[in-house]
Amino acid sequence: MKKEQSMFKFIFTFPVLVYTFILILLPLLYILFLSFCKSDSYGGIIYTFTLSNYLNIFDITYIKMFIKSSLIAILATFICILISYPFALVLRTKSKHIQNLCTKLIMVPFLTNSLIRTYGWIILLRKNGIINTALINSGIIYTPLSLMYNRIGIIIGMVYTLLPFMLLPVCSSVLEIDNNIIEAAKDLGASKIQVFKNIILPQTLSGVFNGSLMVFMPAIGYFFITDILGGGKIMIIGNLIKNQFLTARNWPFGSAIAIFLIIITIILIKIYKRLGGKMDDLGGF
Amino acid sequence: MKKIIVLLIVLFIICGCSNENVKNEVNVLNWSSYIPYSIIDDFERETGIKVNYGTYSSNEELLAKISSSNEGVYDLIFPSDYMIDLMIGKDMIEKIDIKELENFKNINPMFLNQDFDKNNEYSLPFLAATSVIAVNRNNIKDEINSYNDLLNSKYKNNIVLIDDQRIIVGMSLLANNYDMNDIDKNHIEEGKKWLLKLNNNVKAFDSDSPKTFLITNEVDIGVIWNAEAIIAKNYNKNIEIVYPKDGFALSLDNYAIVKCSRNKKNAYKFIDYLLREDINKKITEEYPYINTTISGINMKTEELLNVLKNSTYVKNIGSSISLYDKVWAQIK
Repeated sequence: MKKEQSMFKFIFTFPVLVYTFILILLPLLYILFLSFCKSDSYGGIIYTFTLSNYLNIFDITYIKMFIKSSLIAILATFICILISYPFALVLRTKSKHIQNLCTKLIMVPFLTNSLIRTYGWIILLRKNGIINTALINSGIIYTPLSLMYNRIGIIIGMVYTLLPFMLLPVCSSVLEIDNNIIEAAKDLGASKIQVFKNIILPQTLSGVFNGSLMVFMPAIGYFFITDILGGGKIMIIGNLIKNQFLTARNWPFGSAIAIFLIIITIILIKIYKRLGGKMDDLGGF
Repeated sequence: MKKIIVLLIVLFIICGCSNENVKNEVNVLNWSSYIPYSIIDDFERETGIKVNYGTYSSNEELLAKISSSNEGVYDLIFPSDYMIDLMIGKDMIEKIDIKELENFKNINPMFLNQDFDKNNEYSLPFLAATSVIAVNRNNIKDEINSYNDLLNSKYKNNIVLIDDQRIIVGMSLLANNYDMNDIDKNHIEEGKKWLLKLNNNVKAFDSDSPKTFLITNEVDIGVIWNAEAIIAKNYNKNIEIVYPKDGFALSLDNYAIVKCSRNKKNAYKFIDYLLREDINKKITEEYPYINTTISGINMKTEELLNVLKNSTYVKNIGSSISLYDKVWAQIK
């Protein structure tokens, strides 16, 4: 009986194990390995050990780019929180039916490729696009606003693309709060602000952090958004990595930056755990 | 687990040149938007050879695809000038046997025997492109014939550039009277300063479809490939195409057969088909790059001579590319 059970377990977990091993772990190890190699002038790889790729990252040019990328990503994350949190709080007061419907609606955009949705924004935001034409025709403005091919366009694109990753964990953590606790607090004379500060906020912080991590990290790397809505004028870390692989022919340096990003992610997760977050909450929703 | 690892290792070992493929097919890897699909369909119908057609959007992407795939996966590719040079150096492409090509005589000799492959041992010209300045004359009346004219502060946020570091950093070098392929640190530094000045006027960098910016009036000036400029001109006849007097980039894409190709005969048949008078014309009618055949020539001889005289190929500059890459990171 026992043997049969472990056999079952093996059969069911085997595909996942193979998948993780071949498509995630092996490539990652390869990237880690590459990051310690040298590149030759033809874009090939010389298999000698070097730390120069990692030292290169600390060049002032790239440090500046890290700061610029981080600022864009932090701003996008912050705006996502500002949109998601009030939404979740309002959603809490609605019926189960509406809650389910809304969370499903959040998923709908995922059915279309994000690249296509990003191209859709061009039609809305460009100089003679829908938004500018509407504003000019209604007499609100006289000269078209620069809504894209600058930082505004990038932020709009990042927030739009990554908002669901914030909405879902924030909603699930806000909806999970036991109503009885809030009732009890109110009965004991807590004000609305006290309820929010002492009951709602502490219980939802892990959801917010989870969402922040899932917005912040891609926002550093989503090069197609800076390319399309930023007009390729602003480079973020994602563009830098892409360039190392596709134009500069320096795979080891690109790998080193990628590993550096992974290290930052690990540090952020460590901080999250220090602050009392549970790993389970990071698992998804 | 051990068995899987052994299996993987075995899979990695079994590769290398093997015999001619039994299937009647040819594996082509070409630039995106370069050959109308109808031509490929016609070729399949006429010859019964199945064309497995893939695309790439930069020479480096092509290089990555060829070097990361097993030998024999691809047969026919279309690398540009400097990539031919690099691929010959890396022993990635086969020698071409012109005896296999009935339509070889149709190739315009002006495009043969270029620096990157002196005797056309490894490659034959397919299409050429030059970078040009496109100006919308509806809105811009000033004289524009050199890159320095673009620095005028009147053109704030009014220029689109190709999103290509070699072409754009090269342009800044040309503007400062240096060679487009200069690798002198100080010269490149001067170029960077020039680009930082130009940056105020740049609305966007785009390689996918910079013509759209001109067609939709998003900008009035573009440093873009000539074919893009011609398509934009088809929409707006007041777009003027200027060959900058400081010089400009020429890019020549070539037929090349990948080492260990298993469908060499079919690859030759496909090249021969594309060199045919009627077929070749169709390609440049849809994508107006510079036709390199005698029958399909789509530029006045005088203009073509001027283009060939004042243009420069982007050359393989080896590890100095990191200098260009750094400038690129600094201006963005």
